Amino acid sequence: MNPKSNPFAHQSSGARLAESAAFGLFRGATYFILLCATMIFGVIVVKGSGTVFKASPPFVNWTFLTASPETLYVFEFEGKKMELGDKAFREFKAARGLDEIEAESYAHSAGGIWPCITGTFWLVIGSMGIALFIGVSSAIFLSEYSQQGRMVELIRLAILNLAGVPSIVFGLFGLGLFVHFMPVVAGFDDPSTPSFPIGFGHWLNFSGWGICLASGWFTLAFMALPVVIAASEESLKAVPRGFREGSLALGATKWQAIRTNVLPYALPGMLTSSILGIARVAGETAPILFTAAYVMRDSAPGGGLLDFLGQGVMALPYHIYVISSKIPQNEFTERVQYGTALVFLGLVTAIAMTSILLRIRMRNRYRW
Amino acid sequence: MNATFETRMDTLPQAARGSQQGAPDTSDPMIEIDHLDFYYGANHALRDISLQIPGHQVTAFIGPSGCGKSTLLRCFNRMNDLIEGTRIGNGQIRIHGIDISDPAVDTIALRRQVGMVFQKSNPFPKSIYENIAYGLQIQGVRDRRRLDEVVEKSLRGAALWDEVKDRLHTSALGLSGGQQQRVCIARAIAVEPSIILMDEPCSALDPIATAKVEELIHELKKNYTIVIVTHNMQQAGRCSDMTAFFYLGQLIEMGKTEKIFTNPVQKQTEDYISGRFG
Amino acid sequence: MPATYPDSAQLKGRDRKISEALLNKKRFRVLGLTPDDVIKYFFQGNAAVAILVLVLIMVFLLREGAGFFGQNLRNLRIYRLAGLEYVDFIKREVEAHTELTRAANALRMRQFDAYLKEGKTIEEANEALAQYDLFATAFGDTVNEVRSIASDMTEAAVAIKEKEQIYRDTLEQKAMLLRAGRSAEAEAVVASSVDFKSEVEALKAMQPAFLAANVEFASKIKAALALGGREPLQAPYMGPFNQLKKHAETYLNSFASVEAQMARWTNDQPIPWYESVTAFLFGREWLTASFWQDWYGVIPLFVGSLLVSAIALAIAVPLGVAGAIYVSEIASAAEKGIIKPYIEFISAIPSVVLGFFGVAVLGQCLRAVSQTPWLSWFPGFPMSERLNSLTAGCLLAFMAIPTIFSLAEDALNNVPRHFKEASYALGATRFQTIVRILMPASLSGIISAILLGFGRVIGETMVVLLCAGNRIAIPDFTQGIGAFFQPVHTMTGIIAQEMGEVVPGSIHYRALFMVGIVLFIIALGVNFLAQRIVKRYRISIG
Repeated sequence: MNPKSNPFAHQSSGARLAESAAFGLFRGATYFILLCATMIFGVIVVKGSGTVFKASPPFVNWTFLTASPETLYVFEFEGKKMELGDKAFREFKAARGLDEIEAESYAHSAGGIWPCITGTFWLVIGSMGIALFIGVSSAIFLSEYSQQGRMVELIRLAILNLAGVPSIVFGLFGLGLFVHFMPVVAGFDDPSTPSFPIGFGHWLNFSGWGICLASGWFTLAFMALPVVIAASEESLKAVPRGFREGSLALGATKWQAIRTNVLPYALPGMLTSSILGIARVAGETAPILFTAAYVMRDSAPGGGLLDFLGQGVMALPYHIYVISSKIPQNEFTERVQYGTALVFLGLVTAIAMTSILLRIRMRNRYRW
Repeated sequence: MNATFETRMDTLPQAARGSQQGAPDTSDPMIEIDHLDFYYGANHALRDISLQIPGHQVTAFIGPSGCGKSTLLRCFNRMNDLIEGTRIGNGQIRIHGIDISDPAVDTIALRRQVGMVFQKSNPFPKSIYENIAYGLQIQGVRDRRRLDEVVEKSLRGAALWDEVKDRLHTSALGLSGGQQQRVCIARAIAVEPSIILMDEPCSALDPIATAKVEELIHELKKNYTIVIVTHNMQQAGRCSDMTAFFYLGQLIEMGKTEKIFTNPVQKQTEDYISGRFG
Repeated sequence: MPATYPDSAQLKGRDRKISEALLNKKRFRVLGLTPDDVIKYFFQGNAAVAILVLVLIMVFLLREGAGFFGQNLRNLRIYRLAGLEYVDFIKREVEAHTELTRAANALRMRQFDAYLKEGKTIEEANEALAQYDLFATAFGDTVNEVRSIASDMTEAAVAIKEKEQIYRDTLEQKAMLLRAGRSAEAEAVVASSVDFKSEVEALKAMQPAFLAANVEFASKIKAALALGGREPLQAPYMGPFNQLKKHAETYLNSFASVEAQMARWTNDQPIPWYESVTAFLFGREWLTASFWQDWYGVIPLFVGSLLVSAIALAIAVPLGVAGAIYVSEIASAAEKGIIKPYIEFISAIPSVVLGFFGVAVLGQCLRAVSQTPWLSWFPGFPMSERLNSLTAGCLLAFMAIPTIFSLAEDALNNVPRHFKEASYALGATRFQTIVRILMPASLSGIISAILLGFGRVIGETMVVLLCAGNRIAIPDFTQGIGAFFQPVHTMTGIIAQEMGEVVPGSIHYRALFMVGIVLFIIALGVNFLAQRIVKRYRISIG
């Protein structure tokens, strides 16, 4: 065929050129984002591995993972350059009967991050427990019980807006409500706060819970609430209508229908999607800045339940903030910084990964 | 507190069973509808419907899509309560002489008396056994022997026992479409209702499965009053004793099936049956 | 029960049993509620927690923050009553002079460097600058007299302020003793109020001395300016030098107005209540824990937040939207399967880790780039600080990208297929279809995505706290693009940084809560706007 007479032949027009140029640009932008992310991961993984892992067996630096943060002392002794943590340094001096050794000290640069790991663990467990309880219940109401009306509209509006409240504002809210206001039962009448006698020689003092685990739990839980509700509602909506109708038509009460024929199928989805909420909560620093986090705490919180709830904790994100802004930067602190960042990033990544993978698996498993 | 609750649960099925032991009385109208008006929001879906459905017979509701036949069916067990914005404007539906919209009527008890089979078969994603036993379990029946008995009886009743007796504990979702629908029927009769409503039960089934279900319907009418909504005129002709024709939310005509199909009174009925519209 | 029911006795046995089951009078109730109702209200109660929390947030922000205005008003009133305002006229004059001196020294530095580059030794360079130094030194010294008067007056004013503080503390102590029922001890505590009138008269008595010094000051400056000679610097630096001289002259002319202001000033001019609000909303200074006077003006923080957000959006919007278009329209299925989760995954990176990355790596990198010689033409390069608005903006952009990307991608996917197909059927290329059909159809969705991205960015704390440089000052926008490379402080950052160190209930504590309220209102506003736009968009499509 004569190419000139073929009206469908490829023509290189301006439009085509513009198209390929623009597509190149779009592709470039997309891969630039991925590149940046990879770079950030790369730097932290490479530099952090030096702290978290070691070249010889057992390959993992257990001290870093299981010890408390300590001050690092760097000094020269008999011509050798020594680096010792606080405890080891004191023992070293005592063993040699020396009072003072001239040493440079670096805060938080020795020891490990065990209290931060446990602190983050407790914060996440508690806040997610609360958030899941309230969030799943709310979602059940919204998706199963609610009917169009003022109340439901209001609830939806509140959830939407709650999702947009900055985390630091949640921190302020937690500070104002839980730390400075919530009532505690005490054996005395606190004159500086409103207080009410409840009998048996006890008073309810509105003096606040202070900086503690409980304050952090509720602050974080309320922050995660919108995510959990959205995730739970989505899973409930995915359960076919027929299950509910079939169950109700057999004379089940509403709650029986939900309990036996909706929740069992929605629950796995609710939980996996909510894990993403956990990743958020675990990653947040601002809300715990003044509600739950301590700069330094040697041991994990313990004691009875009330004591446990009334204690502040160290937390990985807060620790990273402290060691990357509150102490002078140098080669010794850098090791701890990257190590902590790697552990934290690894933790959050693992949680988020789990959620994403589980979600894909769920989607494949439940087909109605 | 709990004790009262459970006692109530236990007395119910017995009451229902009692009804089966009485001699079938076909002359008695089971469901009576008096000048019923029904609304979906502002939409007047059913207009001034009055009819009587006799006991122990199969009554078919026919009519073009959107004529209100399914809506009426869902009124009988108050499934419409689940849809927002629906309400009964005027009139009454009486089952066994009781006005079912009365606040004193418990929808739960009503639905145990009036079973339902849906257009799209909706077995729960549980085993066949659990599907059938579900209705009793939610009434608080825990006795394994009794459950086994009821499951077998219901499956036999639904003409499914021989096909599934070896895999009672496998998922009901693994069955064929026709089998699934019969599981749903077995599920419905397991709670021993007096009335079974069927909302286009065969519309998603192939002809062979349809034939089996129709056969089953014929069997079931010995023990139950059956109301079936269908699109399929032949089906209505084959398996029903009475037929009601609806059009645009109104009852046009009701009568013995042979009469409706051979010699309808109304012109619209004749047009529909002869396939001129719908 | 309506009488229409048949009498139960008339019903046959079978029917009676069914009827009884239907009527079911035995349904279990507590307080008129069935168990199912109780369960429903339980869930409803949980759902209402969302409303409760939102209300509690507002209540507690207000509860802790509202007291600020009263305290700030008192703060402002004492500023006037104790004469601090009066002394500030002089202090400002002195500061302006210091500013000029600094400029003169900076100019000398540049010339000095230029001489060294020419190959002069340090001695030779100093010699060449002798004429200029004559001027610079003389100019710098002119202020000494006035400065010493200013510092005397400062001390006097601070003393008055302290007296007032002691008076307040004593009152408080007395009140506490009375509350504790120790009235005898309370009697013994004597609080004497401060007589601001006479105290300030003493302050104003120093005015003649200042006026005399000021005249002297002016004539000295004139003399110093003459010392410069015709050309103390090389040609390229003469321009700035003349500029400087001109500034000095303007400065001299301002003396008259300073003196007039001082003459007019009295300490009994009342300060209206709304000044406390405007001082917060439009105040250009956030100065705390100062021995002199605390200022709580939100503007520098607000501008800082906006500047950082603007940088972040300028980066994130093109990248995020381009990514969304690429993934939803261009990429192959396999590519999509990798890119989408990866970008969503970015949103899981904790902000504090990004902040740390900024401190440890990015700040350094950006500054190194800005210091490369062949980029020196770029305005504002090299950057003087490692941590500045740009560093924070880049990282915030990275946080906003997943939000913008996912929402924009949703918006693009929601465009009905037939729009696209119709366009292809007319022979449009894919690019034409994207630009002319998809973009306009999903524009409102994309805009709301950008808005939500903005909401996320302006509310972000840790990145700006770690990377924005934390200098509380309105960036110098006269530098053009250079303003983007200056360190700033932000609203979120200031709360996080200072809340840990303030006394609960103090004015500073309450000021921080006020900043929180501003943030909260911005967040609600952004949310509201985004929802409005999405709602309208649904209507236009559907």
